[in-house]
Amino acid sequence: MPSRLRLTLAAAGILAMPFTAHAAAFNWQQYKGQTIHVLADNNPVGHMIETNRAAFEKKTGIKVEVDMFTEQQMRQRLVTVEDARSDPVDVFMTLPSREGLQFAKAGWYADLTPLTKDVAPDYDFAGLSPALIAAGTIDGHLTNIPVNIEGPALYYRRDVFQKCGVAVPKTLGDLPAVAQKLRACEPAMTPFVSRGLRDALAYTYSVFFHNMGGQYVVNGKSGLCSSAGLAALSLYGNMMKEYGPPGSVNYTFYQISALYRAGRAAMAFESTNELSNMMQGGARLHDTGITLLPPGPGGSHPTVIDWGLAISTYSKHKGAAWLLIQYLSSPAVQAANQLAGIAAPRADIASQPAVKQWLAGAPVRQEWQNTLAEMAKTGTSEVGYPIAQNPLSRQYFGDAVDKVILGAATPQAACAAADTKLNALIAGHAE
Amino acid sequence: MSTSLSSRQRGVLALLSVPAVGFTVLMVAFPVAYTLWLSFRATPLGHASHFIGTANYARLLHSADFWNSIRVSLLLYVLSLAMELVCGTALALLLFRMQRMPAILRSILISPFMVPPVVVGMMFLIILDPTIGVANWVLGWFGIAPSAWLASPMGVIPTIALIDTWQWTPFVALIVLGGLQSLPPSVYEAARIDGAPPHRVFWRITLPLLRPTLVTALILRSVDLLRFFDIIYVTTQGGPLNASNTLNIFTFHIGFELFQFGYASALAVTLTALVFGVVLALNQLRRAVAW
Repeated sequence: MPSRLRLTLAAAGILAMPFTAHAAAFNWQQYKGQTIHVLADNNPVGHMIETNRAAFEKKTGIKVEVDMFTEQQMRQRLVTVEDARSDPVDVFMTLPSREGLQFAKAGWYADLTPLTKDVAPDYDFAGLSPALIAAGTIDGHLTNIPVNIEGPALYYRRDVFQKCGVAVPKTLGDLPAVAQKLRACEPAMTPFVSRGLRDALAYTYSVFFHNMGGQYVVNGKSGLCSSAGLAALSLYGNMMKEYGPPGSVNYTFYQISALYRAGRAAMAFESTNELSNMMQGGARLHDTGITLLPPGPGGSHPTVIDWGLAISTYSKHKGAAWLLIQYLSSPAVQAANQLAGIAAPRADIASQPAVKQWLAGAPVRQEWQNTLAEMAKTGTSEVGYPIAQNPLSRQYFGDAVDKVILGAATPQAACAAADTKLNALIAGHAE
Repeated sequence: MSTSLSSRQRGVLALLSVPAVGFTVLMVAFPVAYTLWLSFRATPLGHASHFIGTANYARLLHSADFWNSIRVSLLLYVLSLAMELVCGTALALLLFRMQRMPAILRSILISPFMVPPVVVGMMFLIILDPTIGVANWVLGWFGIAPSAWLASPMGVIPTIALIDTWQWTPFVALIVLGGLQSLPPSVYEAARIDGAPPHRVFWRITLPLLRPTLVTALILRSVDLLRFFDIIYVTTQGGPLNASNTLNIFTFHIGFELFQFGYASALAVTLTALVFGVVLALNQLRRAVAW
């Protein structure tokens, strides 16, 4: 873990101080002596769990074992354990926008609703992003507690825009013209880059789709090929094909961040989580602006998602597990996370002095914060079809987008092929 | 000294082998049997599995993605195998002729297959990146237009075959080198006395005598190539547009991304049968070319 991250997370203790006196009434030691097992993804949120483990163990007397894997391997381990209805996992990281419905249908999430009544006085459950809490509530059951907030944002080079006399696009329709001007002015630069890898592009494509006015499911049928859907497919596909880097169909966050960080892209539509990667080395810290993707005919509907912490239905230590989740999602810990670039799903964190000071360190940080605040307010967590087979739906329309990027099919033909599969998927009798 | 064993001794030996046999059954036979059992069942997440007969097999036979994965697997297999055998034999001949080659150079030449495939995948992902990769930069020196490499549906299989050839040619070369060193010198002596030119010696003597060795290399690489996974997983994940979606990648995708374990088991059984079939056929060939 980078020392900066460790240092800033260690600030949790200092930030937690004002809350300590009020929290005295709550018994943090009620499950002392128990051991809980956590399944974590090897990403900054997972590292945050590991960083806070010792402090939590000291505070509660609960021993925490953290198993950390890459995202896909973590999910494999979870599915194996849960499908066997066994209890070696008490707490697990989950991406509700992807697997929420699927795992809820399988009955793997313990309902956290009653547990939210048993909290320390300083916990402030209501302070957690209402949009994310709503997205994590399935059939009246609260499946997880968000521990970060993220979404795709438009990173752009202020200096290049200024040099080329180009303004930041005000609408989606302006995007191709802006990219064209940037190319004419800076031919060595990639005007626009976003995700093209089939299984990863739903995250960025969904914003184009929603801003164009698209809805994934309309009256029980796929809405991919509505006029708004086709317009989104054409725009995204053509932006990547005409103004994206060669080979963009294999692009996901790490190629995009590397390209932007190296100063080879004028605009990058990528996750707010990539801020620290994009700014690594400091070259982009003072020439980057961040904003939402401009609105389209359907308005502005940024994608906003979170990593959440859930308790396994089969856990035998739900009380102790809830204490860990409560601790990691508390205002104090989340304020420290924010300083490490893990955006907190609590709006009032930005007003804390330490966070304010960090944000003031570079204009791009304040823009990042403003973008996240707007996402939290107006965003949607619908990334792909709101069905249990959401991961498969992402592949189907991901294929359609890639066909357009590669010029292998017209938007109409690509969309029609995907729509047939998507309608079968919605009806519940697809592959 | 008598070599025959009494029935008591034979009993003791049989008893002593029980742990090894038991371990083998547990570690090999059980997973295979369990996968086979699972391939006849539906496995809805969070619910008990149930018997569905041969429905998973019928589904794969009707799946365009399955047939695409078979086509991709075989294409990659043939292309990689051909390049590795040709390049491996050439490298082995070079190593055989240059007996005085410095040890360090010899080590460097055979080092690629010691690099973990995931590292190889990451390495080539960066080298072949169409925008910031070294490969297109080098091509540019010679006035050659940049290539999309792994991002082109047409180019992805040849590119992956090239990466695999880079990695596994030294392995084939080591096997062939072993074969070359075991060839009888008397045959070459006779050819030299008869005044046979080097290319005729190679085509008429070396290559025919190397056939058993080459078939051994063929069998060893076939098993790996038909199960091709790691480099594709790291570089393309089966894309673009399923152009590198081998049967193993497809099986993994169905099993561990979509969590359809019954169907994935049917695919895994099919893949196993394919590997077994090819290995059995090549084994027959090995017997036929033995000398």
